[in-house]
Amino acid sequence: MIWYLSTENRQGSFPAIHGSGWNVAAACIEPLYNMFVAANEVVLTIDLPFVNPKGVRLQCPSADVLEIYAETSKKITFKELGVKHRHGEFTCYHARVRIPVSVNEKRMTSKLKRGVLEVHIPRLG
Amino acid sequence: MSTRLSGNDGFQIVETGQIPSDMILINGLPDVGLVGLLAASHIVRALKLEEVGAITSDLLPPMIVLHGGVPKLPVRIFAGASIAVLLSETAIPTSLLRPLADGLVEWAKSKRIQLMLSLGGMAVANRQDIDAPKVFAALSQKDMERRLKGAAEILEEGYIVGAYGLLLRRCAEESIPAITLLTQSYYNYPDPEAAASSLNAVNKILDLKIDVAELLEKGEEIRLRSKDMMHRTHEEMLRMNKSHEDDLPPLYG
Repeated sequence: MIWYLSTENRQGSFPAIHGSGWNVAAACIEPLYNMFVAANEVVLTIDLPFVNPKGVRLQCPSADVLEIYAETSKKITFKELGVKHRHGEFTCYHARVRIPVSVNEKRMTSKLKRGVLEVHIPRLG
Repeated sequence: MSTRLSGNDGFQIVETGQIPSDMILINGLPDVGLVGLLAASHIVRALKLEEVGAITSDLLPPMIVLHGGVPKLPVRIFAGASIAVLLSETAIPTSLLRPLADGLVEWAKSKRIQLMLSLGGMAVANRQDIDAPKVFAALSQKDMERRLKGAAEILEEGYIVGAYGLLLRRCAEESIPAITLLTQSYYNYPDPEAAASSLNAVNKILDLKIDVAELLEKGEEIRLRSKDMMHRTHEEMLRMNKSHEDDLPPLYG
């Protein structure tokens, strides 16, 4: 059986940063992501346009949470996205994703291609 | 001027400009990878189409979109000499899909449209590894294959969930020629590369020469700008069981 989870859960386990994921105070954007729970692994993909490939960090602060932090390759402002009435600049992506099954985070692998990060985490047991 | 369509309470196509008869109608509704919306927006800009109408409905969110300081309805129609484009800047609520399909086909029939060309995405798991997303086509009539001019591979079996599935069925019932182009794309990430592939197919089918370079060059910016729209569209895709499209049809023979 494959579980399918994704960004629509972001208001469930964790409080939403902002209705649309633009956290001005932290200069962070919550990215779109998808998670597939397969028989032997959990596969997470995260959409990261303008990401700095050398500024991607993954960590598991607890057994069931994966935290993604990724720097952008340039400062992004609302203005350059065509929005003049809002102010704020963004330099990173940040997301905390709850993993619904036990995983071995020490064997986690990842690759970044076309600005999409793909993370594979083997399941335990 | 406005056209009120019978049998669809609360659904109305308001015509504010000249809409040609015998036109080709291109649909760019928010869907998988926002492929249709991104491609259709690009067509409107490239062909400098004029805004000629909009859709109103009690089932749409109570909202307007400001463009150049002017309030606009989020679902609008643009047109030129022989091409009209329908696009939506809001996710289409699942409850509006049937009235939209019925009303749009009724309206298209009254305009004697030549062809309804709907642009959408087809989610593929390995999208990151695909350099040139492939385009598939579902047809309202089997004998329309020649109109594709080899631009897309025929989709013989499978499910189409959402507005485009309903539109294709209603067009088939009303004998309106219709093609739905589904391009390989990310499921819930905006995919301008897929939109460019879709547009290349449109160019071939309609003998157009729309340059897709901007979609590719500004790909990252487009993805970021479309993030919130994609998120809201994804919520509607979940409501309409869009993932049903991944299922295998059970019948054989």
